[in-house]
Amino acid sequence: MCLGIPGRIVERYGDEDLPMGIVDFGGVRREVCLAYVADEAEVGDYAIVHVGFAISLVDEEEAKRTYEALKELDQLDELEWMTEIGSGPSPAVDGDAEGAA
Amino acid sequence: MSGDDRRSGGIGTTGLVCPAPAPEGDRVVLGHGSGGKLSARLLRDRFLPRFDNPVLAALGDGAAVRVGSESLAISTDTFVVSPLEFPGGDIGLLAVHGTLNDVAMMGAEPICLSAGFVLEEGLPFDVLDRVLDSMAAAAGEAGVPLVTGDTKVVERGKADGLYVNTTGLGRLRAEFRPGPARARPGDVVLVSGPVGRHGIAIMAVREGLAFEAEVESDTANLGPLVERLRGRCGDAVRVLRDPTRGGVASALNEIASASRVAIQLDEGALPVPGAVAAACEMLGLDPLYVANEGVLVAIVAPEAVEAALAALRDHPTGAGAVKIGDVRDRPAGMVSLRTALGGSRVVDMLPGDQLPRIC
Amino acid sequence: MKYLSEYRDPELARTLVERIRARATRRWTLMEVCGGQTHTIVKQGISEVLEDAVEMIHGPGCPVCVTPLEQIDRALHLALRPDVIFTSFGDMLRVPGSECDLFQVRARGGQVRVVYSPLDALELARRTPDREVVFFAVGFETTAPANAMAVWRARELGVENFSVLVSHVTVPPAMTAILESPDNRVQGFLAAGHVCTVMGWEEYEPIAARYGVPIVVTGFEPVDILEGIAMAVSQLEEGRHEVENQYARSVRRTGNGPARELVERVFRLVDRQWRGIGEIPMSGLGLREAFAPWDAERKFGLDHIRATEPAECRAGDVLRGRIKPVECAAFGTACTPERPLGAPMVSSEGACAAYWASARYRDAARPEDVEGPLAADAAERGA
Repeated sequence: MCLGIPGRIVERYGDEDLPMGIVDFGGVRREVCLAYVADEAEVGDYAIVHVGFAISLVDEEEAKRTYEALKELDQLDELEWMTEIGSGPSPAVDGDAEGAA
Repeated sequence: MSGDDRRSGGIGTTGLVCPAPAPEGDRVVLGHGSGGKLSARLLRDRFLPRFDNPVLAALGDGAAVRVGSESLAISTDTFVVSPLEFPGGDIGLLAVHGTLNDVAMMGAEPICLSAGFVLEEGLPFDVLDRVLDSMAAAAGEAGVPLVTGDTKVVERGKADGLYVNTTGLGRLRAEFRPGPARARPGDVVLVSGPVGRHGIAIMAVREGLAFEAEVESDTANLGPLVERLRGRCGDAVRVLRDPTRGGVASALNEIASASRVAIQLDEGALPVPGAVAAACEMLGLDPLYVANEGVLVAIVAPEAVEAALAALRDHPTGAGAVKIGDVRDRPAGMVSLRTALGGSRVVDMLPGDQLPRIC
Repeated sequence: MKYLSEYRDPELARTLVERIRARATRRWTLMEVCGGQTHTIVKQGISEVLEDAVEMIHGPGCPVCVTPLEQIDRALHLALRPDVIFTSFGDMLRVPGSECDLFQVRARGGQVRVVYSPLDALELARRTPDREVVFFAVGFETTAPANAMAVWRARELGVENFSVLVSHVTVPPAMTAILESPDNRVQGFLAAGHVCTVMGWEEYEPIAARYGVPIVVTGFEPVDILEGIAMAVSQLEEGRHEVENQYARSVRRTGNGPARELVERVFRLVDRQWRGIGEIPMSGLGLREAFAPWDAERKFGLDHIRATEPAECRAGDVLRGRIKPVECAAFGTACTPERPLGAPMVSSEGACAAYWASARYRDAARPEDVEGPLAADAAERGA
């Protein structure tokens, strides 16, 4: 049971009874139960939503950190490749070469 | 009879339509109306044997019939969508555009329409008026008269408000006969605009899913697009199909099977509007299987691709036309997709409708 | 879409693929136990791109696939009752029971509805007081908090015409069962990112330690999965066996406190049957005594409904990774997504359906595979 997608909390209500909110998923909006992130969730935060419930808030710092590490890896690889062949601009990526063996 | 059942509604206030791959039962299930494999089987096993004739057996979107020295195209379709009115349109627009489009996909020039109505006791007049206004406007804009019709009323609870059948007659031209069996290896697959809008617009207002999306149905008359293609490319247009129920995937599967060719799509090339993509993410749906009502798929000879794209883009409805894939010779009947990663997967015909998933 | 699209970046993905292939000095065997991850792997053709470095075995991570036949039969029985509106997630509707499925039940007049959230089912119950609304509470730990809340609220609001048919399973016992199997080939695991968003990863540490297998908590997008695989391969190459977290933007070691707490209050651990595998002790969730009035099994007295699994379907062997779907004699012949013998062929994340979606395992020259209303005509013309 895995389909959880990130969306931005745009509204919050119902705190007296059951914390609910409206979450925007790239242009699509739905009512979501915020009970499990109620203590921390603020309008503007991103949440992972599964079957109408926010099960976590996206740790944006962490996301940024790991994403940048990945991008660096990407550039690092290109750098290594360039060093190996000596010089010159990075080649156009050859689709077939990365395809299935 | 069209091989393309166009059912996009649930029953009354119940939830979504569902696929049904189960072993043969003894009665009709919702999946039989989805335009997928079950629908195909229903036609082949129950209808065809009883009405056996070569015209019907071709199972196109419409039929070609010779009348004297002319060939006429006939197509019929029944519309049962619920709710009757939805973002971007209503059942009336679907009914007129849908049948005009089926006639156009055969390459025919539309002549006239008929319409048969089943009205539910209790349907408010203002709803009926709006639907009829839509039909009049759509037919008027296309320059195609509604020449005959019929109306019945059934008891409350029996028709979801309103069901309508439309039949269209058109004039076929010898030099322009696109057909599902005409695709050849080397041909190119084009789509006239962004996909997935109609299906998502309907789902957004269907009970049980309740989401808001900035998505409207794309219902449109595709006749003008087809005329431009005919004018610029003529016979180089091998196949035309409007991917309604079952989406682009189902339409291409039918074509690949009829033409005994393989079709390979390029995932990155498929035009999916942001909000449609987002809704599909949320529900676990694949845009390739979501219904369209204002988009056509065209398979054209390679030398005509540029002209075809220019022809489509010449009209607002075709402004977003792009190439999405190629026709190969093997494996025959298979539609596959090359992913951005370089991997590939098979894009099958679904047994029934696509369902939202949580996994 | 933010926090989604970035993890589909094809260039990043290709870089990771290169990394994995460069790093692996031999072919490693990994398993993911999550339908969503299986779905991405198949959809993106990841197995294909990595095949010389990694063999991915699709584990029993599809709750649709592992829901016992008996439970499906009980669901069908309830759905046939005229006083019941049977609600479910979409995934479950296609699974065949002993005699039919929920669609044929619908055709017979049963009221069956798809809902997106369990709270929608509860809302339906409130709106239709003259009917019993039953919700098919299927899933792994990810869905337990949602289902728990629906039951909790039903009690809080005094909604008596609502009940749940529970078929919850948990991941760690399944992993252990696979590792305990004498012919186990799995050398490392990708743990389900959303299961761990709820539960954290503490309970995987003893498993990694005892069996000496790396376990990487992984997300669902192609970049996530590839990064998770890369981390697992690194561990294997270095002889490490730890729990690592690739999906750090959503998962913390202790998971989601409030969610775990409510699940604890509403559910307790029980023995569960896994379709095709058999009983795994303490691998499921059942409603606690205090919530008996909302337990459909007790409310409707379903104990007498029993089922035996058909012998021909080798779903269990597939689910445990013992055989590949293609090695089952029925694959693609007697058993196809259209006429499935077992659940892994029905669900789009089931391993058999996953293999079916991969072109190389399909002999598409066979006419019976080439469906469509025009196939008969085409066959006749001999193309």
